[in-house]
Amino acid sequence: MDTDPIPVTVLTGFLGSGKTTLLNRILSERHGRKLAVIENEFGEVGVDNQLVIQSDEELFEMNNGCICCSVRGDLIRILGRLLKRKDRLDGILIETTGLANPAPVAQTFFTDDEMKRNFRLDGIVTVVDAKHVSAHLDSDDESVKQLAFADAILLNKTDLSTPAELDALEARIRGINAVASITRTTNCDVPLDRVLDIGGFNLGRATEIDPKFLEPEYPFEWAGAYALPAGSHQLVIGHAPGEEHDHDHGDGHHHHHHGTENELDVAVMPLESTGEADTTAARDAAVGVFSDWERRVKAGETIEPGRTLNRLLLDEGLGTYTLKVREPGLFAVFEGCGEEPLHIHVAGDTVKPAWQADYHGAHEHSESVSSVGIRQAGELDGKRLNEWIGGLLRTKGNDIYRMKGVLSVKGAAKRLVFQGIHMLFDAKFDRDWGAEPRVNTLVFIGKNLDRSELNEAFKACLSA
Amino acid sequence: MQLTKHWAAQLDDYIIDLGWSPDGNLLAAASGAGPITILAGADGARRHEFAGHEGGSNALAWRPGSSVLASGGQDGAVKLWDGLAGQHVATAALGRPWVEHIAWRPGPGAPLLAAGAGRKFVYLNPDATVRHQFKDAPKTITALSWHPQGGCAAVAFFGGVCIWDADDALAQKEYAYGNGIHALAWSPDGRWLVSGNQDPSVHLWMPESDVELQMSGYETKVRHLSFDSASRWLATSGSQDACVWDCTGSGPEGREPVMLPHPAQVCGTAFQRAHGLLATASQDGSVMLWSPDRKQPMRATVKMPSQATSLAWSPDDKLLAIGSEKGIVYVLRCEP
Repeated sequence: MDTDPIPVTVLTGFLGSGKTTLLNRILSERHGRKLAVIENEFGEVGVDNQLVIQSDEELFEMNNGCICCSVRGDLIRILGRLLKRKDRLDGILIETTGLANPAPVAQTFFTDDEMKRNFRLDGIVTVVDAKHVSAHLDSDDESVKQLAFADAILLNKTDLSTPAELDALEARIRGINAVASITRTTNCDVPLDRVLDIGGFNLGRATEIDPKFLEPEYPFEWAGAYALPAGSHQLVIGHAPGEEHDHDHGDGHHHHHHGTENELDVAVMPLESTGEADTTAARDAAVGVFSDWERRVKAGETIEPGRTLNRLLLDEGLGTYTLKVREPGLFAVFEGCGEEPLHIHVAGDTVKPAWQADYHGAHEHSESVSSVGIRQAGELDGKRLNEWIGGLLRTKGNDIYRMKGVLSVKGAAKRLVFQGIHMLFDAKFDRDWGAEPRVNTLVFIGKNLDRSELNEAFKACLSA
Repeated sequence: MQLTKHWAAQLDDYIIDLGWSPDGNLLAAASGAGPITILAGADGARRHEFAGHEGGSNALAWRPGSSVLASGGQDGAVKLWDGLAGQHVATAALGRPWVEHIAWRPGPGAPLLAAGAGRKFVYLNPDATVRHQFKDAPKTITALSWHPQGGCAAVAFFGGVCIWDADDALAQKEYAYGNGIHALAWSPDGRWLVSGNQDPSVHLWMPESDVELQMSGYETKVRHLSFDSASRWLATSGSQDACVWDCTGSGPEGREPVMLPHPAQVCGTAFQRAHGLLATASQDGSVMLWSPDRKQPMRATVKMPSQATSLAWSPDDKLLAIGSEKGIVYVLRCEP
């Protein structure tokens, strides 16, 4: 009874994704280990001398069928039976069908004390057919969920797609799940340490999150720098028919409006240079401006550079405004929605931007399932944090698939690491912060997450 | 009172079930790996070894008044063996799901073996042919218990219990229960049907009057239930104490249970068949004897090298057979 818990790996993926290939590879390459496979009714593992158990996925739906509260009864039964051996197993692989929601599997290991004591959920590995997954992602929620829950994602059968298609797919998957590892394979030929013993549910590793994903969020989506002479110029939003589009926002096919249609927030700030230090300073200043009270500007009215948030009122997406420049120089224009064409005309000519930047990619708005990351220095008030997370899980638990993080709690010398699935939540203090800066890191993966609401609620938990 | 070692036998794997033959001369032990061994009750000598079930055996049941042993396993089969002659007698292949629960009908009625395999529930004849196949249970069958007089069998699954008549195979009662059920037991007088639950709790039904009681407060799911022969005491696992409820009269509600403390979680409870001693086991390997109605209830305690997996009193209540995780069968003598 005092032995180490047996690691459990959950393999998800649709029929034909290559899941069985991976399973067979694991079994043949790790033949020295005693592994048991619990496969679904369509399973077709073909390795001899292995413990393969077929199982019908049987849900125990607690609390009136709430999926968050459901566990897999068949796993409790079968895993309970697998413990009844003189020699313990080295690992368990659970294969689920494409249609099965992985959450109850994970919850089985969170809620049943016998399972919790004897097994350790190591990770959820999702295999996707790179060629066909996009169609699934468009049409059904289950494949999106499988990606959202994953700790490791294999983009399989990559030989059937072009590198550009794979890049686009990977970006799309990143938009859903920002923290899983993504590996491209052709025949599930992945080094097994990418899928086994990955510690996806190990609280100590909850922070191994792509740092790019944790870049702060900005209230604007695009900025451009323009060298402008003194005088009254024209700021034009939208394209008149036949006009050419002169700036490109990259991944431009997902159009998303902030606020009301026919309104566009713009701030124009003086800029020293297009050097990184100066654009960063301007960006940070613009964050302040964008959180300020807006000035509503009708077509034909005048805007001046400075710390003012201008809400341009458009007519059918179009509008022309006067931009009055007193001193010639370089100006940064920040635009709330990066999808709106914005041009500056000086004496009839369009000025090309000397520098431009996109802030947080537009793909994050395109999926109803997404990741929200928060990275913030400071110390949290334990009580407020508790109330916030508790309330969040009660009201949004159904929509939050995974959350992970490391938090700095006021008065605690140790890091608070946590891990959650739906409304189940596990947290513990792991080690001293020591010399490491006390920075809070949190990631939510789920459906209909409100990024700004989560950010604000989090900030409200910071201790004054 | 003390428990002294009578004999021990090492088998190949975890002892998944144990059973004394009705005459008390033989002890059958099934290992998790599959083989079934017939041991002499007197000295533990190996009389026979059966192959058992491919993938593993799950359950054993001796047919009352005979030397026929039934077994169920992961091959989806019920097999019948002659424990005296050492022969395989018959097989009923019930399908892919494991046969996890088997029980012979007690009492004077026509002999039947009830078997649960996945969601399938059947009555088998003594020659292993199917007497009656019931409609599938809504979820996998997780427990099975015959009424002590043999008139009906109770079958549990996630979501409830169904009581099936032995003769006309009709449902006598259907009870809904909104959680998983791990164990079922009838009181010997047939007044109570009790389930041990995942939630964790014990639920009692009184089929004669439709009274239902729910006893909660357990630390973990309740897997073990045992009534004493007088139908007064119900011993339950689910905590570090064996919790013993007084079921006389209107039942345990409102009564303080007798709490019998153990060094670790209780993993087995078994009252003697006709006498009043309760044997319990806990996960640290302790096996203890109790008289729940005494002021000082503990009567004896022994520490085994590994956790007990099953407890079985001999028909004369003098010997206690204990199966262990490490595949050893111990038989202890209970001496006054």
